[in-house]
Amino acid sequence: MKKQAKQPKGPTSRRDFFKTCGTIIAGSGLLAVGGYLAPRSSATEGDSMWQIDPELCLQCGRCQTECVMPVSAVKCFHANQVCGYCDLCGGYYRANVKELNTAAENMLCPTGAITRKYVEDPYFEYTIDEDLCNGCGKCVKGCSSFGNGSLFLQIQQEICLNCNECQIAKVCVSGAIQRVPVSKAYRLKDKA
Amino acid sequence: MKRLASISVLLMLKARAFAVARFPKPDFHSGYQYPDIVHTVPNETFWSWMDLGILTLMLLAAVWAVHRAKSRRIILGISLVSVLYFGFYRSGCVCSLGSIQNVALAIADPGYHLPLVVLLLFLLPLAFALFAGRVFCAGVCPIGALQELVNVRNFRISRPVTVALGVIPWIYLAFAILYAATRSQFIICRFDPFIGIFRMGGDIGMIVFGVLLLLLAVFVGRPFCQFLCPYGALLGLFSRFSARKVEITSPECINCSLCHHACPVDAIRPPSRSSREEAAGKGIKRVLLYLCVLPLLTVGGALLLDSQHDSLSLANKQVRLLHLLQTQEETATLQMAPEVEAFHEMGGDVQVLEEQVGHIRQQFHLWSLLAGGLIGFSVGCRLLRLSVKRTRKTYEIDPVACVACGKCWSYCPQNKSR
Repeated sequence: MKKQAKQPKGPTSRRDFFKTCGTIIAGSGLLAVGGYLAPRSSATEGDSMWQIDPELCLQCGRCQTECVMPVSAVKCFHANQVCGYCDLCGGYYRANVKELNTAAENMLCPTGAITRKYVEDPYFEYTIDEDLCNGCGKCVKGCSSFGNGSLFLQIQQEICLNCNECQIAKVCVSGAIQRVPVSKAYRLKDKA
Repeated sequence: MKRLASISVLLMLKARAFAVARFPKPDFHSGYQYPDIVHTVPNETFWSWMDLGILTLMLLAAVWAVHRAKSRRIILGISLVSVLYFGFYRSGCVCSLGSIQNVALAIADPGYHLPLVVLLLFLLPLAFALFAGRVFCAGVCPIGALQELVNVRNFRISRPVTVALGVIPWIYLAFAILYAATRSQFIICRFDPFIGIFRMGGDIGMIVFGVLLLLLAVFVGRPFCQFLCPYGALLGLFSRFSARKVEITSPECINCSLCHHACPVDAIRPPSRSSREEAAGKGIKRVLLYLCVLPLLTVGGALLLDSQHDSLSLANKQVRLLHLLQTQEETATLQMAPEVEAFHEMGGDVQVLEEQVGHIRQQFHLWSLLAGGLIGFSVGCRLLRLSVKRTRKTYEIDPVACVACGKCWSYCPQNKSR
């Protein structure tokens, strides 16, 4: 008889006790993680935008292929203030062209995203059509090898999905892609 | 032609991308003005707080739908909103699943900046789970919601298989923490099955995997949530101790088993009297045995994973670079990997790199111990849980597995008579 009286009370109260303990431990665990990390996360301005450091970029060509977007969010940017406005542009013409004219076979850009406009003798203004650019960096390589290096790759923030982990940064050979605070978005060559 | 030849020569010199003023700034006479190009920055701060606000609202709505209204229709509505907004419109990043890695990295590396929104994204669903069960899974999480929306039939997988496969989320979680804490990879993001579908593009392998998983989800309830989701493992743990449990029906259960067959995640346990059938003391002995096995499994798991920490560390970019450099030296081939080429081009110092790699390997040493321990511990706990047999008089919901999808309510005849 004694046993029967105890049984309904015993196990349930023990189970309740365990559950309460678990709730307290889980709750305090949450509070601990929150309390430990919250002061740090609100202290400084957050690094939230993925950016290419043009000084580090080596134009390996992975920006074109690794981005999660169908057409990469990395685009060629042009710093007009740095550009020499040359007729013979290392970023515009393919190397070893036979005749110096704007025929398609002489163009370095595989998608025809670079257009140029005659300004005055002997200067030409170069413009990048971002809708066509696929971020392959061929022109950037040409411009920085033979030219002022006014063409450079940068992430177009309006296209970038701001992935938690940038797929290009993961394979970038020179570690040029890093997160920067919003205020420092768009590292440009002419407005450093 | 001479000038053209010089292009090709200079191209081969592989100049760095510094802005070198090889040509002077042009001196315009025609009054040319430099174009003023303005690059717009989307208001990321606004959008991330907006996401958090909508997440909170949807969690509250889910709590109301699960605990007060008990309406599957509302939950399906929330699921649809979640798939459209978090999935297709916001394209997924950053989510609560992925935030595990940010939090792990922030704990491991005090130098890492964890945005407050990401921290809250991690904590909120867990806090809700502690109070109201896995309401996040019910329809707020776009991954779960998408699977819920396509689910047509439930072919029940046998219980032992479900239990065995249930270890995978913990293994996944352990590896996610290991790789995130060592700044190697965010594997939860890398292997997100539906991100390619939400973004309508991306890694083709993952899209195929996502589509296959969705096809599976038509016939088996929520395969990702049940057998893969690392955040679900955490939510289950918190939900076990939740203050309010999801209930099938408030009036008396008539043991009709309809809910049990309707449950997509096999979370409804049938009545059982198993403990009575066993010899006295046998159950206690078994529990004691598994209690002894638990630390053994934990230590064993820790040591096992730690013994592999050198090969695991190859997931880290720096370690891989050193490995590439070393194989390059050994084989002495002329063809260099792009990484190696870049390393030399930037004037990298092998000794500095070796020091860095040594440090990273130390981190892997520590974190593989912890991750292995976590795996062993979770397996041990699972065994322990299986060894405890409870007497149930009616059908009961297991709060750990229940994703609060609300399917059982419409099947319960007692609910209908209300």
